Amino acid sequence: MAVLAPASGSATPVARRKRLGRTLSDRRTRFGLVNAAPVVVYLLILFVYPIFSTLMLSLKGEDGGLTLHWYADAFRGANLEILLTTLRISAETSLLALVVGFALASAISRLTPLWAGLAMLVVIVPHFISALVRTYGWIILLGDNGVVNNVLTDLHFPGAPFQLLYNETGVVIGTTAVMLPYTVLLLYAVMKGIDRRLLAAAASMGAGRITIFRRVYVPLVAPGLVNAGVLSFILCLGYYLTPALMGGEKQTMVASLIDEQVMKQNQWNGASALGIILLLLTFAGLLLLRLLKSAGEALRNRGTAS
Amino acid sequence: MIELRPTLAGRITLTVLATLILLFLALPIVVIVVTSFGKDAFGDFPPSAWTFGWYKQLFADGSKWPAALSLSALVAAMTTVFSLVLGMTAATALVRSELPLRSAVYGLVLAPLVIPQVVIALGLFLLFEPAAMLGSPIAIALGHTVLASPIAVMILMATLKGIDERLEDAAASMGAGRLTVWRRVTLPLALPGLVAAGIFSFITSFDEFFISQFLSSVDTVTLPVQVFNVLQYNVDPSVTAVSAILIAVAVVALALVAVARRLGGSGRQDGLLPTEPAVGLSAGSETP
Repeated sequence: MAVLAPASGSATPVARRKRLGRTLSDRRTRFGLVNAAPVVVYLLILFVYPIFSTLMLSLKGEDGGLTLHWYADAFRGANLEILLTTLRISAETSLLALVVGFALASAISRLTPLWAGLAMLVVIVPHFISALVRTYGWIILLGDNGVVNNVLTDLHFPGAPFQLLYNETGVVIGTTAVMLPYTVLLLYAVMKGIDRRLLAAAASMGAGRITIFRRVYVPLVAPGLVNAGVLSFILCLGYYLTPALMGGEKQTMVASLIDEQVMKQNQWNGASALGIILLLLTFAGLLLLRLLKSAGEALRNRGTAS
Repeated sequence: MIELRPTLAGRITLTVLATLILLFLALPIVVIVVTSFGKDAFGDFPPSAWTFGWYKQLFADGSKWPAALSLSALVAAMTTVFSLVLGMTAATALVRSELPLRSAVYGLVLAPLVIPQVVIALGLFLLFEPAAMLGSPIAIALGHTVLASPIAVMILMATLKGIDERLEDAAASMGAGRLTVWRRVTLPLALPGLVAAGIFSFITSFDEFFISQFLSSVDTVTLPVQVFNVLQYNVDPSVTAVSAILIAVAVVALALVAVARRLGGSGRQDGLLPTEPAVGLSAGSETP
């Protein structure tokens, strides 16, 4: 019967329903649906629905009606300050992780395979060690009598010892250490794919090293830089551990505020609104990434066409 | 090979810089392991005298650590089982079938990796609080599975892609049923991937802090939550030893994955390290 059915393309509702029925009765499709069902159901119940109920709670007024009251609260006074602090620390961290990651990834991409493998091991292994433990390591290192201050004092570094804990310096150092493996991995993947003969070609045409770096190398790495920068910024936004342990009062981030509102003040609506704001900021970041990517592709296509 | 020859000065600068950055990554870990054997548990690096005392103290009478450790192990074991079941079925659906709305399913599966964890934790709290399930190990494991299953799916998809589908077809053509093919052909070939996915699920749960923090009660506290509480509120010098144990667990897990990868031998096994989620996600879409 299926063979005799008219070719698809006739878009009457009946034909469409028939085609859908045929797709669903196909063995491979049925097999796929059966296998996809567990994970989809699971995530709908334990991931999508909870986030949806968070959204509803953030819009629920005390009388049960819809309200934007909680969002207005989030953008006022101390809460607004915490939001801005979160954005500032995330920006500082992702910028630092990007610059440091760039230096390390470009150094590794020039090593022989053996040394590159060993160096990548030092990048990857910490990535799989609990961030909590690594943060504790930084607390030991950066204390007033910690290794870093002792070394700096012994070297008679001007101004040493420094206050490196419970302020923004500490938070940015700790958070950068957590984000660094991401940026290194993303940048390394891009840099390994670069044809280094292009750099030699530019040199043969008389370009200086700075010009080569600026006009050839950086544009080739640019997609990776955008990816790594936006991704580490997004991951920072909702980050809790390091700022909570290494920051002072002025480094409270949104995640800490949510934690406090839920655990100590029983203020679920306000916490939900803050959570949804974080979620929207994340979506904005991902959207930006997508737009930049298609813009970059368009630019490259135009470059090859002309 | 045509190469732009690096200058000596540039080479030295880059090497020194790279060494410093690698130190930056390794130092916090080294300092914990070394300090955990030192007489003075806080600072004093390198220690002037050595001891195993902090490790012994962990298992002394009245210590809270053994309970936290066994709860974490239990939760991690449950998470591993959930995550492997979900991961294997999802990977099969995504790699081995015609799935309607495939990219939507794939996006849903990967979404937990980029959504801020505080949002996931808050949502789970709102789900489990009315059900009076706060503090139950199964609730914590169900929450951890949200984070662990995407990693398992990524690893197992790479594994399945590396297995020649014609082997399965050949077995089927000789009369093996679907279940027999899976048990006798696919499963043995996918074993290294399953081991890797299982280990990473376990580690994800064992180290997870934020969801546990939201879903725990006063009596049920996982190891990372206990470590956090000690660091934030009270001083217990054996926390350094616990941290060193957490490091050891992670390193052993990575070593086991490396062994599974070696034993896996043939086929494309690059997918055994779940570093690709970050790469895959930032690319925005999957390359088929």
